Amino acid sequence: MNALADDITLREDQMRLGLWMFLATVTMLFAAFTSAYIVRRSGSDWRHVALPPILWLNTLVLGASSVTLEIASRAGLERRWRAAGGGFAAALVLGFGFLAGQIGAWRQMVAEGVYLPSSPHSSFFYMMTGAHALHVVAALAVLLWSAAATWSAGRDVRAWDAQVGLCRTFWHYLGGVWVFLFALVSLY
Amino acid sequence: MSTHVLGGPPRSPHNVGPAPVEHEPGFIRRYVFSTDHKIIGIQYILTGLVMAIAGAALATLIRLQLGWPEHHWLWLSRLLPVGMPSGVMTPEFYLAVVTMHGTIMVFFFVSFVLVSGFGNYLVPLQVGARDMAFPFLNMLSYWIALLSAVTMLASFLVEGGAAAAGWTAYPPLSAVAAAVPGSQMGQTIWLLSMALFIASFTMSGLNIVATVFSVRAPGLSMMRLPLTVWSYFIASILGLLAFPPLTAAAVMLLLDRHFGTSFFLPSGLIIANKVLPNTGGSPLLWQHLFWFLGHPEVYVLILPALGIACDILPAFTRKPVFGYRISVWCLVAVGCLSMIVWGHHMFVSGMSPFSGEYFSLVTLTITVPMTIFGVNMLASLWGAKLQLTTAMLFSLGVIALFGSGGLGGLFLGNATADMQLHDTYFVVGHFHMMIGGVTLLATFGAIYFWFPKMFGRMMNETLGKLHFWFTFAPFFLIFFMQHFLGLQGAPRRYYAFTAFDYLQKTRGQNLVISIAAMVLISGQFLFLVNFVWSLFRGHRAAANPWHATTLEWTVASPPPHGNFDAVPVVQRWAYEYGVQTIDGDFAVQTVPSVSA
Repeated sequence: MNALADDITLREDQMRLGLWMFLATVTMLFAAFTSAYIVRRSGSDWRHVALPPILWLNTLVLGASSVTLEIASRAGLERRWRAAGGGFAAALVLGFGFLAGQIGAWRQMVAEGVYLPSSPHSSFFYMMTGAHALHVVAALAVLLWSAAATWSAGRDVRAWDAQVGLCRTFWHYLGGVWVFLFALVSLY
Repeated sequence: MSTHVLGGPPRSPHNVGPAPVEHEPGFIRRYVFSTDHKIIGIQYILTGLVMAIAGAALATLIRLQLGWPEHHWLWLSRLLPVGMPSGVMTPEFYLAVVTMHGTIMVFFFVSFVLVSGFGNYLVPLQVGARDMAFPFLNMLSYWIALLSAVTMLASFLVEGGAAAAGWTAYPPLSAVAAAVPGSQMGQTIWLLSMALFIASFTMSGLNIVATVFSVRAPGLSMMRLPLTVWSYFIASILGLLAFPPLTAAAVMLLLDRHFGTSFFLPSGLIIANKVLPNTGGSPLLWQHLFWFLGHPEVYVLILPALGIACDILPAFTRKPVFGYRISVWCLVAVGCLSMIVWGHHMFVSGMSPFSGEYFSLVTLTITVPMTIFGVNMLASLWGAKLQLTTAMLFSLGVIALFGSGGLGGLFLGNATADMQLHDTYFVVGHFHMMIGGVTLLATFGAIYFWFPKMFGRMMNETLGKLHFWFTFAPFFLIFFMQHFLGLQGAPRRYYAFTAFDYLQKTRGQNLVISIAAMVLISGQFLFLVNFVWSLFRGHRAAANPWHATTLEWTVASPPPHGNFDAVPVVQRWAYEYGVQTIDGDFAVQTVPSVSA
């Protein structure tokens, strides 16, 4: 019995370690984009394009999804499963909302004649937000996986908490990356 | 909340309790879509060896061209009607051949066989685990790797042929389809194949780090790990951190190629008599991003080679490796320093002299831990009665090439000298000795040493020793001479030197190099014959035929599914030679010490 518990704990540790290593590679990816942005920024043809205001709303939506995920997680630990399930549903809706908002932002820019090759700034904007959105799609799959575990019957709280922990780390991390990227393309 | 501290007291999920009783998997699950690290390791090794044949065929074409630049190889013109229409290679085809030779050898031979292949096979066994931390991810990694290899080979078949911008894929050559035939679809496929390779390599590296951290056998502290495991551990961390910038660069290059962006393409670029519409991009940006990966990548390849040589040596000197702890810290130091030296590949790019000084300084600094490591290897031989088995010969070859090739690095790491030597055959000679030769010899050493464990049979020693001499001697000759070609100013990537008066006197040297290359490549048939023959007819191997000390030698040859019948409890470090036990002059890591 102890061996089995030991096994589960180790599996959780391994998953956590694996996730952090994966996030380290993602960090290096965005660090490379950022350093390229800074280098390319010094080019004489650099021209800042106007970014659609909906990005502010998207940022709020993503932030709200992180908050609802935290609420869901705390509710689950207190075994308030209805609240936890609701929290996950809200986080999912907001997560998909963020993605839809990003698509909306791209559509607005295209409508205004700002395309991928229009300027180095727009190239970086589309590329970096696109790369971020792809990671958000993956994170939404993880969120869905945790939500399904919350909605299903017969949960083991400790295993559930470990699974949700991975999901929270990934989701909040991508929230942080978005805030950084948004600040970069807006302010620099 | 978990109380387990990663990197702390080791445990294994599969090491707890007796071996799990499983029903025998079918052939497909067992040998094709297997999650067993040993099968995956062998899959990587066999795939890598097939890719090596492709890479060697390309090397043969290169040497035929450089040794006999005006000869009409009519039989080749029938095989390669586009690249060699009259039996003489076209310059464009030569570029594609050089590019693909480098790409295949670096990413699909050495990375596959030495890093992913032996990494997969050895790490779980040597840390006393039943499998990798993430077996399914491991299987996925292999199949994505295979897809990337097939994709890369397929690029020969598309219009314009394979990529031709060098294994470093410098833009603008790699970014503009009209620049060279290989920059059409071939270059796009090259980039997509590399993206798949990086995804696969990341999964593999992540698995190795997680395995070393979390599933070591009880008693196996980090400072009891064999140097092989340490080297894979450091190399995997490097791979995880260094490859993503190449992914970023590949995305930008794809956008430049197909979607009109100007990340790497400067203003006013004229190709095929047309001014390109791009503005303001920087080809040097690619070089920075590429070499941020590229330099750590050479350590990703060479560190496992050194680790493996360090594990083979004591089995045939019958004494412990010299300076184990210092060697470990040298690996760590090299790992850290390798991330900050990339600019030494770009001394001629017009960088500020201050940057040049910095990159020279840190590059020469990295030679300190590398030299200490090399001296430790040499000192491991001191006073020993050497048993010159094939595996030992290859390990000694590793030391020889590491020493001689490393010497060239001192010149190239110095910005002033590099200005002269950049893009000459001096560079080609240097990196072939290091990431070509050290890794090749270590790969062969590893195969001869662990073949009995993998397949339960011994390889033929006579053929093996012949293979060693047919490999080491021509290899050394070829790349030692190329240093001198470089000193005479012979530039790399030129398909012929016939048009240059000052290089006329090098024709004889190129001829000797080409003949040596043919000997080298012919010598590999000895290996292929030995490998296949030994698989079926080799003498049966005992569990520990070399009387070695690490954990893989405590299990049957080949090891069963799940590796260990019972949890191995480690009592000693990995190099307990020169002691008297009932087994002989060594103690495997599980033998209790007298004081215990």
